[in-house]
Amino acid sequence: MPATIAAAALCPSPPLLCPQLTGRRPVLPELRAACAEVVGRLLGQDPDVVVVVGPGAATGTWDAGSRLDLSALAPGIAEGGRGTAIADGGRSGVPLAVGLGAMLLDQAGYLGPRHLQAVGRDETAGACAKLGAELAGSGARTALLVMGDGSARRTLKAPGYLDPRAAGFDSGVERAIRAGDLAALLELDQALARDLMATGRPAWQVLAGALPAPAPATEVLYCDDPFGVAYLVAYLRPREGEEGTR
Amino acid sequence: MSDPGQGGPQGVLRLGRQAFGPDRLLVMAIVNRTPDSFYQPGVTWDPTAAMERVHVVVGEGADIVDIGGVPARPGDEVEVSEEIRRIVPFVAAVRDAYPDLIISADTWRHEVAREACAAGADLINDTWGGWDARLGEVAAEFGAGLVCSHAGGLPPRTRPFRVAYADVVDDVRRTTLALAERAVAAGVEPARIMIDPAHDFGKNTWHSLEVTRRLAELAATGWPVLVSLSNKDFVGETLDAPLDERVAGTLATTAVSAWLGARVFRVHQVRETRHALSMVSAIRGDTPPALAVRGLA
Repeated sequence: MPATIAAAALCPSPPLLCPQLTGRRPVLPELRAACAEVVGRLLGQDPDVVVVVGPGAATGTWDAGSRLDLSALAPGIAEGGRGTAIADGGRSGVPLAVGLGAMLLDQAGYLGPRHLQAVGRDETAGACAKLGAELAGSGARTALLVMGDGSARRTLKAPGYLDPRAAGFDSGVERAIRAGDLAALLELDQALARDLMATGRPAWQVLAGALPAPAPATEVLYCDDPFGVAYLVAYLRPREGEEGTR
Repeated sequence: MSDPGQGGPQGVLRLGRQAFGPDRLLVMAIVNRTPDSFYQPGVTWDPTAAMERVHVVVGEGADIVDIGGVPARPGDEVEVSEEIRRIVPFVAAVRDAYPDLIISADTWRHEVAREACAAGADLINDTWGGWDARLGEVAAEFGAGLVCSHAGGLPPRTRPFRVAYADVVDDVRRTTLALAERAVAAGVEPARIMIDPAHDFGKNTWHSLEVTRRLAELAATGWPVLVSLSNKDFVGETLDAPLDERVAGTLATTAVSAWLGARVFRVHQVRETRHALSMVSAIRGDTPPALAVRGLA
């Protein structure tokens, strides 16, 4: 069956993407706008299905109606989430990154088919790439929404404080995305990523597995670290004439 | 529900040689022996300035002084020996100057707690959720008190990162109760144990607000509740107020917490806190006004 990734979008997954969680003042409007734009482009491909991929405690699939439990992050303002794991290793609650991906689709008004996929935070690069290839090989014309963050240890005020290795790690990821060199993402050091609290590592490796060579055309819409966590928003398209074949 | 023994809503809290009924609201004054704590960093780094601060807070009505040598936020490593050097001689000096003042050592390390208690500390204020399981043993050895706090399982000096709780108050209650029971098992006198939800520690602002809103659930455990609210980020975020503009928000939170059953208040602003708590006590009817002649002449 031919692999049919129509396009892929990369977004970060901080809770603060959700407007209900951040109080009265607008928070990072430019990041939210970039995420909205990239999701809009993704949906503009008119895919048969949108696959949301994000890191979670364990690899598993969530039913399409699953939504983030905001009450766990903000008791007192929000109702609980909904959704059941089809196979997630027994944990309750859709993972943050997957739930935020679903929220971005909702915000874009997307009502079509969606597949919510968590990838375990401890999966190896090989397992992630294999999962990516499976997602790409469904036969349906697929849009991938990949939710993942870089290091959370970029500054003294970062959630994880300053780790001098963070800058190099994140710029390596940025370089790979800008160049469309997704194979480089498969080389990321798993232990280093964990040390740096770079939660996106497995999701990026799923992306790499879903879009093997040739290098896709990529565009970075946002790349910054306003709270000491590396956020990257990017759009990836298979090269003209090469979509859907592998 | 655990049995707090001598403690409890109607119970007595014992600190040093003193005993306090549930209607007594106690002020714990922060005295940081650090160059880099978040609020007015370094202001009492010099030992003379620190002792002067003790004189001031005692004059303002502090019941307890809480002496700490390591900031909560991440930063340069402070070794055990350095933490001891920062706080233990100072504890001894305060003990000399004030034989009856309740002295608290703000530390999560049992080695430091042991030296501080030997130098005269009456209470070990562990903000990091019992990370060092041997603190109770030290408190028991010296007949000292112990604060059992909830830090969401975070290691000392780390920040919360996307923390989520099915029910944060339930998590606080279970965690602090378990720590209190562990302390009793280690031999700490029950009347010398307090619980602290530790606002901001392992919590985002929503979580700290929820803990405040439902503080009565923690008071209902029977263990005396300590709250440490002073100028914290959840106040700053709620009000969009920088560090030097959080006193009113802190006092509002203090009054609500007292109303809901908190008994000990760890603060930077002693005089203002004392006033806020005196108002709460009078409103509750626990203490009469200092003076009541208005309309009575």
